[in-house]
Amino acid sequence: MSGIALLKCRSCGHHWQFRRAACPVCAAIEPEAVAVAGGGTVWSVTTVHRAPLPEWDVPGGYAIALVTLDEGVRVMCRAESGLAIGEPVRVTLRDGLPHAART
Amino acid sequence: MAHITGVAVTAFGKHAGRGPVDLMETAALAAIGDADLPREAVDGLVSGYATTYPHLMMGTVVAERLGLKPKHAHEARCGGATGAMAIVLARHLIAAGACRHVLVVGGENRLTGQSRDDAVKTLAGVGHPEHEVPLGASIPAYYALLAARYLHEAGATERDLAELAVLMRRHAATHSGAQLTKPITVDDVMASKPIAAPLKFLDCCPISDGAAAVIVSADPSPRAAIRLAGWGEAHTHQHISEMPDDLGLGAKVAARQAFETAGRKPSEIRLAGIYDSFTPTLAIFLEALGLAPAGGAGKAARDGRFGRDGALPLNLHGGLLSYGHCGVAGFLAHVVEVVRQMRGEAGDRQVRDPALAYLHADGGVLSSHVGLVLERAA
Ligand SMILES: [Zn+2]
Repeated sequence: MSGIALLKCRSCGHHWQFRRAACPVCAAIEPEAVAVAGGGTVWSVTTVHRAPLPEWDVPGGYAIALVTLDEGVRVMCRAESGLAIGEPVRVTLRDGLPHAART
Repeated sequence: MAHITGVAVTAFGKHAGRGPVDLMETAALAAIGDADLPREAVDGLVSGYATTYPHLMMGTVVAERLGLKPKHAHEARCGGATGAMAIVLARHLIAAGACRHVLVVGGENRLTGQSRDDAVKTLAGVGHPEHEVPLGASIPAYYALLAARYLHEAGATERDLAELAVLMRRHAATHSGAQLTKPITVDDVMASKPIAAPLKFLDCCPISDGAAAVIVSADPSPRAAIRLAGWGEAHTHQHISEMPDDLGLGAKVAARQAFETAGRKPSEIRLAGIYDSFTPTLAIFLEALGLAPAGGAGKAARDGRFGRDGALPLNLHGGLLSYGHCGVAGFLAHVVEVVRQMRGEAGDRQVRDPALAYLHADGGVLSSHVGLVLERAA
C-alpha cells in the first residue's frame, strides 16, 4: 500500500483526508480509516522557490502538487519535478510526507 | 438601511516606529472627522486583528485608545475578507437597532514590525497544520497552485496575468499614498524573480504598513448618500485541499447574494474594487463575477476595460498589488477609494459618475468571500 490513509463514510461511501468526526456529505458519524493505493491525477502543481522558512529553501526549489486520488480526494504532496496537470501519478509516503511521482 | 458616511486611509509603505494601534488610531480619527461626527456619536466598533500584535481583545484596545465608550466592540478575523466582513457586521448591528454609527478599522505595521521571514511564516499558517504546512507550502504556493489550475482551465497565459500587475501599477502611480509607483511592463513582470511557479515577484502584492477606517451609519451623510445596498458571504472551505473544483464558486455565491439583496444586476455596476493579493486572485474573481470573459481578464485589462476611462474602472488606487497590503486595511483601502469615487472626490483619478459599485474580498485561499454593492442615491 501507499501509506496514505483516508477516512471513509460507512453510510454513503464518501472519502476524505482531514480529521473529522462526521461525514461532510451525509453527517454520518464514526468514519472508517482506510489505507489507499495512492493512484491519482495531478490537479495542480507548483515549484516553490521561496520557502516559508529559510532553512527549507533548496536550490531550484521544490515541487508541491495537489493530487486527486482515485477515491476522489484531493491531497497535497511533495512531487517529483516537471509534473503536468492531468498527469497520472502515484502518491506514497516519503520521509513521512506524501510524495507524488509518475506511474 | 446602512450607509458609508466616513472613510480614511493612510499612505501604505513604511511607518517605522508606529504600531498597529497607532496606525488604526490615525485612520479612525480621520474617518470620524470625514463623517463630521462628534467622537461620542460612534457607538459601535469592529476592529481588525494585527499579526504583529496578536492581542486577545483588539476591539477593546482600540476603543480605549480612541476614548470611545461603544455599546458594542469586538475584533473580527477573516483574513483578507476581514474589512469587508466587518462592514457587513456593522450593517447587521445597525439593522438590529444595536448601534447608529459603527467604526470599522484595520491597521498594522506588517512591513516594519516584524522580519519578512516571520511575516511569510505567519501567513503560511492559514494552511492545514497536519496536511499542508509541513509540506513547505507558503501563501504564494497556495495561490500558485490556484494560478496553475486557473491557467490550465481558462487557457490564459502568464503574460495575461502580468497585465493585471501592470494595470495596478499604472493606477498606483496616480495616488500619492501608494507604496509602489514605478511603472512596470509585462516583460518586467515576466522577468521578475520566481516565487512559486507560475507566480513571479511582481505577481504578488507587497507587505506594507498602513491603516484604513470606514464609518457605517444608519442614516446617510448630508454630503453624499452612499448606501450599502447589498451584501453577501460565502465560506466554501478553509484549506485548498478541500476547496471546490470550481475556483470561482465562493465568489459567485457571495456576489449572487450581494446583488440579490441589492436588487441590482452585475451588468449595472460602473466601478469595482476587487481583492488582488496576487494576479490570479484578481483574474479568477473578475471572470467568476462575469466582469471579464473566461480566460479574458488580462486581455480586458490590456484593452483598457478597467482603466479610469474604461467601461469598468477597477482598483483606481492601485489595489493590493501596488497601493499595498498591510492586512485588514488592505481591502479597506479599496472601500475608501470606491467611496471617494462615488462622492466625486477622487481628484485626478475621478471616474465619470459611478452611481453603483461592487466590492469583493476573499480570505484564506479563496476560502471566505464577502461581496458588497454600494449605491449612491440620486
Ligand atoms: Zn456520508
